[in-house]
Amino acid sequence: MENGFIILFGLTMLYLAATSRLVAHIRLLVVQGILLFLICACNFEHQHALNIAFLTVETLIVKSIVIPWFLFKVVKKTHANRDIGANIPHFYCLVTASIILIAGFLVSNYFTGSSTMKMISPIYFGVSIATIIISLWLITIKHKIISNVIEFITMENGIFLLSLSVAKEMPVLVNMGVLLDVFIAIYILGLFVNEINREFNDLEVSNLSDLKDYNND
Amino acid sequence: MINVILIFPIVACILMALIKKRAFDCAMVNVYALLHIVSTTLLALNIGRENNIPYFTVDNTNLIFLIILSLVFFMVAIYNTGYTKTLDYPDKKIGHYSFMIMVFVLAMTGTILSSNLGIAWIFVEATTLSSAYLIYFNKTKHSIEAAWKYVFICSIGIALAFVGIIFLNIAQGNINTLDFAQLYKNALLFDPFWLKLSFVFMLFGFGTKMGLAPVHFWLPDAHSEAPSPISALLSATLLNSAFLVIVRVFKVLDIAQCDAWARTMLLITGFVSLFVTAVFVYHIKNYKRMLAYSSIENMGILAIGTALGGAALYAVILHLIGHSLAKASFFLTSGNVLELFNTKRIKSVRGLMEADKKTGWLWIFSFLAICAFPTSVLFISEFIMIKTMIIEKHYLLCALFVILLTIVLWGIGRVVIKTTFDKLSEDKVQSVQENKKKLCACMFIPQAIMLIIVFVLGVYIPPFLNSIINCATAGF
Repeated sequence: MENGFIILFGLTMLYLAATSRLVAHIRLLVVQGILLFLICACNFEHQHALNIAFLTVETLIVKSIVIPWFLFKVVKKTHANRDIGANIPHFYCLVTASIILIAGFLVSNYFTGSSTMKMISPIYFGVSIATIIISLWLITIKHKIISNVIEFITMENGIFLLSLSVAKEMPVLVNMGVLLDVFIAIYILGLFVNEINREFNDLEVSNLSDLKDYNND
Repeated sequence: MINVILIFPIVACILMALIKKRAFDCAMVNVYALLHIVSTTLLALNIGRENNIPYFTVDNTNLIFLIILSLVFFMVAIYNTGYTKTLDYPDKKIGHYSFMIMVFVLAMTGTILSSNLGIAWIFVEATTLSSAYLIYFNKTKHSIEAAWKYVFICSIGIALAFVGIIFLNIAQGNINTLDFAQLYKNALLFDPFWLKLSFVFMLFGFGTKMGLAPVHFWLPDAHSEAPSPISALLSATLLNSAFLVIVRVFKVLDIAQCDAWARTMLLITGFVSLFVTAVFVYHIKNYKRMLAYSSIENMGILAIGTALGGAALYAVILHLIGHSLAKASFFLTSGNVLELFNTKRIKSVRGLMEADKKTGWLWIFSFLAICAFPTSVLFISEFIMIKTMIIEKHYLLCALFVILLTIVLWGIGRVVIKTTFDKLSEDKVQSVQENKKKLCACMFIPQAIMLIIVFVLGVYIPPFLNSIINCATAGF
């Protein structure tokens, strides 16, 4: 069951790579949040009540309600609809993302032989690393800054999955601080998206390339 | 004492939010700066080190970082008093500005004092978020670009550092701790492969905040667009606090005997930083960006010194002190230049000495301090590093080091001499004279004090400071 959810999580990244509508991307974040909750829920019997409460709040409330709601508001306000004109056509994006995902599985399977990897499930590890890499790669090819924010969130989701894979608990204080920081970071990025929209009237990344050393003025 | 510096800003921020008076907001920043330096002095004298909030501590390693932070913040607060008077923004905006400075310094203090890697991570990210507003303070197209790049690049870097922390967790096997003391104690039991992998992620993650090339891209933009007191804080204290986290993680690898790997990584990033500065400083068109590149160079020197180890560690601490004070002074003086000429373009700034003698001399002496002219303390530190390289028979590295430093020196020196000694163009005389009236005494005194400290430390290091530095080198 757990593995099924993780594989679904990996597949959401392929969907992200292959589509261009921003609203669909944000809906995907909701799906990812719910999947992360289900993955956590499979391990709930081994954990403290405090940790269960925290994970539920983090995945169900913050990751699948608050952040997507905030992004919906930003998209509505800035009238951003699609991220067209990415550097690479969607089909090739899909192919590359699939290759990264498969490579994630292969690499993690390769490492399961070593002794220290015993406590990490290879499927967790492979999907989370692939998610992080696909997100970073998508950040480099997308043209709208709001897509960059969305991919930043999927990267954070990948890191969250990775931290679940270690099956060791960090102090609750650390977990809460991390969540708070990530949340504020997304909030600030969202505010900046609005400001950039106000200042430049669109959300193209290419607007933000004025500060450099080798220009001719 | 630690409790005081960590809790006071929270209380002050609440009061500031309630009272909303410009004079009160500015006064609170100064009170915090004073409190910070008094508490740090007491901590340095070994008074009040007990009864801390959990997860925070003062030890031999972070004491020197705390002293630098306190001193620079105190000087910047003095400068800031004069600087805010020159701004004609509404009171509300100045209130936000003072509020964010408090949060920013609190986040840096938290990073330096934390005894737990997880807590340190949280505070490093908090520094990014709190300084984003400060960089965006002027609300121009350029400042929004700088702030966006800063938040986005640093957040991604810090997220990767968190991956490093997770890998460190994997390396620990059955042990589960992020406390630095526990990490040092158990380091020998860690799995070397995962430990090395985690170091790579943490070096690049925290290195993003420290401004090490090749992950330095936010730095010149952010430093050049931020108001000058903030640039000084960013360059002289923020980069140091990220460096402290790297040093702490490096120590874990050192104990676990994986240090050869870590040293190679540090050496590579250090030399890439020097190289990047040498290339870009050549073509520079904006004097604040030039200073930012110089920060990258100096962070590179710190990384190289840490990698060399041995006697070079003493030099690293000296360099840390010297760079923080000299660069803070340089950035604050650049604020005066900006005030006089209203431009950051090097081409448009000529005849600084003619425009304002005091700013001109501060500009020259800041340059001499940063380019390691004897008796600047940076001369001693760079000399010790070069000596260490020769003793350890790294002749090639030594030659490369010297050549790159010379290129950077030439690049900066050319700009400084041109801007200071050329003739002031006649159409500017009037506006410069007008702007000169805005500069008050507290926009000169902090730089002068910091420069005196830098030049005195080059000939005489007081015994108590010497013992603090010697204790700190043990923590590397």
